[in-house]
Amino acid sequence: MFIVNKGNKSDLGIMKEPGSRSKAGGRKVEKFKNLPFVKKVGFSRIVLTAVLILMYAIFCITIDGFAGKAHLMGTLNYVYFLGFLSLGVTFVIATGGIDFSIGPVMFCCALVSGYCFLNYGMPMGASLLLCIAVGLMFGLFNGYLVAYWSVPPFIVSMASMNIAKGAAAIFTKSMSVSWPLESADGGWFRKLATFNGFPTGLVIFLVAALICGFILNNTRIGRYILCLGSNKEAVRLSGIDVKKWEMAAYVICGVLVGIAAIFFVGVYTTVQPNYGDQYNNEAIAGCVMGGTSMAGGLASIGGTVIGVFIISLLQEGILAYKLGKDVQLIITGIIVIVAVYADVVARRRKN
Amino acid sequence: MGEEILRMEKIDKSFPGVHALDHVDFDLKRGEVHALMGENGAGKSTLMKVLTGIYQKDSGKITYQGREVNYHSTREAQADGIVIVHQELNMVGDLTVAQNIFIGREFMHGPTIDDKKMIMESRKLFERLKIDIDPSARMKDLTVGKQQMCEIAKAISHECKVIVFDEPSAALTEKEIDDLFAIIRDLRKQDLGIIYISHRMDEIKVITDRVTVMRDGTYVGTLITKDCSKEDIIKMMVGRVIYEQPKEKSLVPDDAPVVLKVENLNAGRMVQDVSFELHKGEILGFSGLMGAGRTETARAIFGADPKQSGKIYINGTEVDIKSPQDAVKHGIGYLSEDRKRYGIVVQKTIIENSTLACLEEYMSGISINKSKEKKATEKVIDELNIKTPSSDQPVVNLSGGNQQKVVIAKWLVKNCDILIFDEPTRGIDVGAKNEIYKLMNSLAAQGKSIIMISSEMTEILRMSDRIVIMCEGRVTGEIKIEDATQEMIMNKATRNIK
Repeated sequence: MFIVNKGNKSDLGIMKEPGSRSKAGGRKVEKFKNLPFVKKVGFSRIVLTAVLILMYAIFCITIDGFAGKAHLMGTLNYVYFLGFLSLGVTFVIATGGIDFSIGPVMFCCALVSGYCFLNYGMPMGASLLLCIAVGLMFGLFNGYLVAYWSVPPFIVSMASMNIAKGAAAIFTKSMSVSWPLESADGGWFRKLATFNGFPTGLVIFLVAALICGFILNNTRIGRYILCLGSNKEAVRLSGIDVKKWEMAAYVICGVLVGIAAIFFVGVYTTVQPNYGDQYNNEAIAGCVMGGTSMAGGLASIGGTVIGVFIISLLQEGILAYKLGKDVQLIITGIIVIVAVYADVVARRRKN
Repeated sequence: MGEEILRMEKIDKSFPGVHALDHVDFDLKRGEVHALMGENGAGKSTLMKVLTGIYQKDSGKITYQGREVNYHSTREAQADGIVIVHQELNMVGDLTVAQNIFIGREFMHGPTIDDKKMIMESRKLFERLKIDIDPSARMKDLTVGKQQMCEIAKAISHECKVIVFDEPSAALTEKEIDDLFAIIRDLRKQDLGIIYISHRMDEIKVITDRVTVMRDGTYVGTLITKDCSKEDIIKMMVGRVIYEQPKEKSLVPDDAPVVLKVENLNAGRMVQDVSFELHKGEILGFSGLMGAGRTETARAIFGADPKQSGKIYINGTEVDIKSPQDAVKHGIGYLSEDRKRYGIVVQKTIIENSTLACLEEYMSGISINKSKEKKATEKVIDELNIKTPSSDQPVVNLSGGNQQKVVIAKWLVKNCDILIFDEPTRGIDVGAKNEIYKLMNSLAAQGKSIIMISSEMTEILRMSDRIVIMCEGRVTGEIKIEDATQEMIMNKATRNIK
């Protein structure tokens, strides 16, 4: 399974002080945590799934007609692009860094390649590749500055964010770009998201998640990224080229952001310049909620996937409640705070 | 020694899977320095953490100044006059010494912090304790030894009646240890009760009145220091007697090939024109006071820090080492002083740490061969006798000594030919120390070459085939073990000091 985070298991016969308050309820929780199934899947992942299911149940009960294909598809449509954004930023956060440029870069990818398709007659296949290539370029840029120039990731990604917005606006002469509909020429790319009502996007996303999990868990690049996120100097002194691997994390993120762009326009069609910030927070929230630690060194692809579903379902629910975009923003903001706070508390408890 | 100030009775403490304290007794008198000894994992730190409120005991009684107490935090214990100076320093690097000492209880001048007063009070404190440190210096600019003195001063500045020192001398020079002992004698005269946790037998004999030994979480016994011998204490700690004799003669032949040659190495103020040779199968001891430049030399050779000039030859060929990557490629491994910061990735498991330097060798295609990793790790856990329930343990859960062994494990798994051990047995108990010595000797016998940086004279004399002495960035002497004496070494280690 793509579980990297083993930190939930606090009961391996070691010198750790558990929470000093052991009420009867606390003991039951400890017993539950010790079940072999729970240990394998991860306690926090089970809690997250429970939250997801509970949310869905509440929405179905309180909103007329929520249960049903339409809202499910609505949620999934959100999952595709947000999922790839979250997968990407998971790698960056695993190194102890952060990337605030993912949303605007996603839009830049879609704008630039879409513009090329519409106005320069670039074939759809090439446009899709260009989309990913733009993401890759920003990944290289971010990664190089962070790893080789030691610029703090916070600053680099803020700068990238602005560069992405500006570059896209200049390239498209500040106009929005609408990718072709399914019936139109080149519209076949939409089949990547949905094929005759079948959510192909979901399949692609889950396969991608499996691959990402494999990379983090079972390959050298994954091992180095997680270790350097935890203690960069110790890894450097072990003879490893930490700069190369740190940059690699940002490059992987860039590629995944490029793919996210494809799914965004595959579902929502139109992209405009100077947009995309809100998705930064949602992607990061989904990632941190799932167990990836902002401090670096600890990452969970499985958790990210569930986190993405939770946020996507939430968005769909808010839409169905007809609460409006602004409420959406507030709620997302609160979720980010709660998710990151939970991460801090979990880390403190482990120490 | 006066009347009893502290009594801990039948203290019991368990963690999941570990019975850390098994009905342990301990008592402390006023005006006494009472040593607490035991192997790593014996329970000494745990007992002290129970005393000072960091852990809560499961059962047992603590009587302090005649009344029963049960602290829930160090603040509570501190307020009551029980203070602990930790093994790992708790200082804020970017603040000044004075700011660190008065952290949490700053002097205020209206709404602002009165830095001037804090500096003045710190100066008074240092004068009283005869410590020579500038209170306005930034903490991170001080050497580890001086930082420790500040930590001690900070602890003493609280109005305390019981003070616990946890491995206080580990990072101090011989002179600083003398200063520390002067302070401790002073505190004893003031009728404080002092608990002294240390592995250093010589210090115990010099400064303490009684010795309590723990083993595997149990209380073994208490001896009166002047009535017992080192062997008595060691026997109680490990159950066997270990003799620490200096090495008489080196078995390394005079014509053994030179595996590493360093020529005119310059790396800042701490490494000036350093040259030496390392022979195959040799253990080269690097002696000197703290701050002599030994670690800096090692780091420069290893590529961890940049160098200004100098040539490095491995097996006769000049090599260009610009980073640890280059060094490791050429077969050099470096075991740093501060293992938590530089040696291990604390959140990761023993397996992940031990294959870190040579992960390329554990791949099948693009994926990591985890069973091969595990096997190699278990082999080395066995070799080094690392105490852990499994190889999957996050290293953070191991005791200090065992963490040190994991760093050694990493270089063993890599199979380096040249190993630089920087203070390899610091903070490690007698039993584990001997294991590491045995290991070093067996590595040398296998043909590996070792540079051992150490501030412990007995260790240098016991392990080295030859000794290089440094002082303030320069090599001041090079002697064969058969000619070496403590006086000679100390002489050369202090030669450049004006």
